[in-house]
Amino acid sequence: MKNHFRFLGLLCASLGIITIAHAQTPLDGLMMPKGEICIALQYDQVTWDRYWEGSTIRVNQNIGTFTRQMGMPMIVGGITDKVNVILSLPYVKTEASAGQLTGVEGIQDLGISVKALLVEKSIGKGKLTGFSNLSFSTPASNYLSDYMPFSLGFGANELGIRAIGKYELDKGPYIRASYSYLHRGVTEAERDFYYTDQAYYTAKMDVPNAFLGQVTLGSWMFKKKLRVEASLTTIKSTSGDDIRVYSMPQPTNKVDFDRVEGFAQYYFKTNGGFGLIASYQKAISGRNMGQFSGYGLGITYQFKAF
Amino acid sequence: MKKYNYSILLLVIFAFLGSSCVEDLPTKYEFTGYQFSNLDANAGQWKLVLHTSNEQIPISTPAASSSAELLKELADAREMQSKATSAQREAVAYWTNNPLVRWNEIALELATKYNLIPAPNPDGSYPVPDPANPSNYPKFPYSHPPYTSRMLAHLSVAQYDGLIMAWHYKYKFKRQAPYQLDSQIKSAYETNGLFSYPSDGAVIATASRDVLTAMFPLEKEFLAQKAQEHLESLVVAGINVSSDVEAGKLIGASVAKTTLTRASTDGMKNAQTTRVKSDSIKNAAKERFGWVWENQETPQRMIGLVPLFGKVRLWNVPNVEAVRPGPPPAPGSPEFEKSAKELKQYANNLTTNQRRIANFWNDGLSTYTPPGHWNRFAKEEVVAKKLSPVRTARVFAYLNMAIADAGIACWDAKYYYHYPRPIQTIPGFKTILGTPNFPAYTSGHAAFSGAAAEVMAHFFPANASQFRTWAEEAAMSRIYGGIHYQFDADAGLDQGRKSAAYSVTRAKLDGVD
Repeated sequence: MKNHFRFLGLLCASLGIITIAHAQTPLDGLMMPKGEICIALQYDQVTWDRYWEGSTIRVNQNIGTFTRQMGMPMIVGGITDKVNVILSLPYVKTEASAGQLTGVEGIQDLGISVKALLVEKSIGKGKLTGFSNLSFSTPASNYLSDYMPFSLGFGANELGIRAIGKYELDKGPYIRASYSYLHRGVTEAERDFYYTDQAYYTAKMDVPNAFLGQVTLGSWMFKKKLRVEASLTTIKSTSGDDIRVYSMPQPTNKVDFDRVEGFAQYYFKTNGGFGLIASYQKAISGRNMGQFSGYGLGITYQFKAF
Repeated sequence: MKKYNYSILLLVIFAFLGSSCVEDLPTKYEFTGYQFSNLDANAGQWKLVLHTSNEQIPISTPAASSSAELLKELADAREMQSKATSAQREAVAYWTNNPLVRWNEIALELATKYNLIPAPNPDGSYPVPDPANPSNYPKFPYSHPPYTSRMLAHLSVAQYDGLIMAWHYKYKFKRQAPYQLDSQIKSAYETNGLFSYPSDGAVIATASRDVLTAMFPLEKEFLAQKAQEHLESLVVAGINVSSDVEAGKLIGASVAKTTLTRASTDGMKNAQTTRVKSDSIKNAAKERFGWVWENQETPQRMIGLVPLFGKVRLWNVPNVEAVRPGPPPAPGSPEFEKSAKELKQYANNLTTNQRRIANFWNDGLSTYTPPGHWNRFAKEEVVAKKLSPVRTARVFAYLNMAIADAGIACWDAKYYYHYPRPIQTIPGFKTILGTPNFPAYTSGHAAFSGAAAEVMAHFFPANASQFRTWAEEAAMSRIYGGIHYQFDADAGLDQGRKSAAYSVTRAKLDGVD
C-alpha cells in the first residue's frame, strides 16, 4: 500500500465545503490507513445580498449583505485500512449588514461519520475505488432553528448515506462522483403555530429530506504535493414549502441549489505533517436560499497515532 | 467476507430510513363531537348583538312529525346515511356537532394565509391591496392584526345572532331530531336531544361562508365547497333533515347580510390613508408632543399600517377617548431612559425562557395574529368545557367584540401619540423580532391580550388567573423582543382590560354566565 500516504491529507480536505446547510461529511474518495489521525481546522465565509424566494430572486435592503462564518474543528481517524471515522463540531456566526434584526453565533451540530472502502481495483492505467459513508449529525447547542436566515442550522438530526465512486489515473488526474440521501428529522420551534401551505398546530417542524449529488474533476500536481479540484454540487429537497412573499424563511422550506466550487490542498510533505486548504464556492441556481459565494481556508495536520 | 458485512449494514440502514417516516403533524384541533354540558334551552332569549328580535328572520312552521312531507325527508336522510361515501363520513367526523369551532379555525387559517406585508416596488414605493381588484399584487386583504380582529368580530357576531334565533325556533317548534323520529337513522355524535328545526349547523355553515367570503373574496370557491360539505354532513350525520337545513340556511344568510351591512359602513375602508392624511396625523402629533414615529425599513414605508383604524366603529366601548391612556414619557425623560436601559439589558442578556416567550407570542406575519391566538385558546376551552353551539358562539362573539374594540382603541392611541419604536430612539439597537409598521404606544399585543383575558376570565372563571397570566406574558414578550417599552405594555394591558369591561358588562345583562 505504497500509495497510502498520498491519500492521507486528502481526507482532511473533504469537509467544510457545504457551509450552507451545516457541516458536511466526507464526499471524497480517499481513505486513511489504520492508526492515522488527521486534525483539521477549517474556516469558511459565505455572503449573499440576494436570495431566492421560491425560485424568484429577491433583494431585501433590510438585510443588505448577509454573512455566515463557520469555524470547524475536525478529526479523522483510520480505524482500519478500510474504515475511517470523522468527527466535526462547527461554530457558526451570522449577521446582516442592514436592518434591525440581530445576528447569532454559537456551536452548531456535532457530526459523526463512518466511511468504508468497498471496492478497490486497478483498471487500465488507473484505479477504481468505491466507498460508502454513513453520517449522523445532531444539534450540539439549543440554538433556535426557527430564526432564519440567521439561525445556526436547521436544528434537526440528520442521517446521511452516501455512495462514492472514483477513477484515478496513475498520472494524477481523477474523476469522482457521489450521491447522497440526507434524512432529516423534525426541529422544534418556540411557537406552536406556523404556516407552510397550510396551518400547523404544533411547535414541531418537518425539515425536508434531500438528495445531494456531486461530480468532481481533479488532479495531483508537483509530485503529489498539490491537489486541485473543480466540483459541481446539486442539492434537492424531497419536500417543503417556498418562502412566502417578502416573508422570513423557515426550516420547513424546500431548499435546493446548484453550486460550483474550486478547491486546492497543498502538502508540505508527502508523508504526513501539515497541509493547507483553500476553496471558493458559488451558488449558480437555487430555491429558498441566499445566492451565496464565499471562500474557505483550512489547516490540516496528520500523524501516525497507533 | 467483509463485503457481506457491509452489505448487511447497508440493508439495515435502508430499512431504518424506509421505516422512520415522519409523524403526522396536526393541522387542526383534534376533537370529536361531544355531549353538550348544557343545552341552553333559554338561549333564544339572550341579548342579540345586531338584531332586535329573535323572530326578525321569519321561517315557516315545520311539517308535523307524522306528515308525508317529513316522512319523505326522513326516508331521504336514511338513504343518504346508508349510502354515505367514506369522504362523507370523514366530513361528518371533521365538522362535529359544534362546527363553529371548525369555521373559526378556517377563519384563522385564512387570516394566516393573507397576513403578508406588501413588498416594495422597484422604485421604492409600496403597493396597497385593492379590494376592487383583490387578485392583483398585493392580494386583498392584507390580514394584519386589526383586519383579523375586525374579521373575527363580524364572523362571531353573525354566528351568535344566528344561533340565538335558531335556539328560539328550536324551542318554539320542538321538532325532534331524525335519529329520534326514525330508529333506522343513527346519530353520528353523542345524542343530545337537541331539537333539530332549524339546523344550527346550517346557520353556522351559511353565515360563516358569507361573512368569510366578504372578508376573503379570493376564497369564495374554497368557502363554498367547505360550506357545501358541511351542509351535506348534517343530514349524513343523522342530526338534521333537509327542511331543518333549509331553514338554517335562511337564517344564516340573513344574519350574514345584516352583519356585512355593518361591516361595509364601519369605517375600515378609510383606515389605510393617503400619504397626505398620514402626514397630517404625524404632524399633529409632532405639534402636540414634540416627537414622531417613523418607519425604519429600507425603503421606508411612508404610511403606517391603518392610521385611521382608531376611527372604525366600536362594538361596545362608547368612544376611544373613554379608554385612551395618558401620554407616554417623552424620549429622553428619566422614565424613558429607564425603559430604554432595560431594553438594552434584555437584548444583551436574554435568557432562553425570555427568548421562548418572545417567539411564542410573536404572532407576526404569516400567522393568525394575537387575536387569532386568543381565538385558539377559546376554541380549546370551549371544547374542554363541552359547551353547546350557542354557548360557544356567545364566548366567541364577546371575545372578538372585546378584542376588536381593544384594537380600535389601541390604534387610536398609536396614531394620536405617534410614539417612536425602540429601534428609532436607541442608536444601533438590534432586535430578535421584526418591528411592525406602526407606532409603539400602546402595545397592540398588550391591548388585544388584556381584553381577551378579561372576557375569558368572565366566561371561564376557574381559569381566570391563567388567562391573565398569559396576557401579562404576551405583553412582556414584546419587551423581550425589543420592539416595545415597558410603558407601552403597561398602558396596553390597561387599555385592553378597560375596553373589555364594556363587553363583559353587556354579557352580564343576560345573567347566564
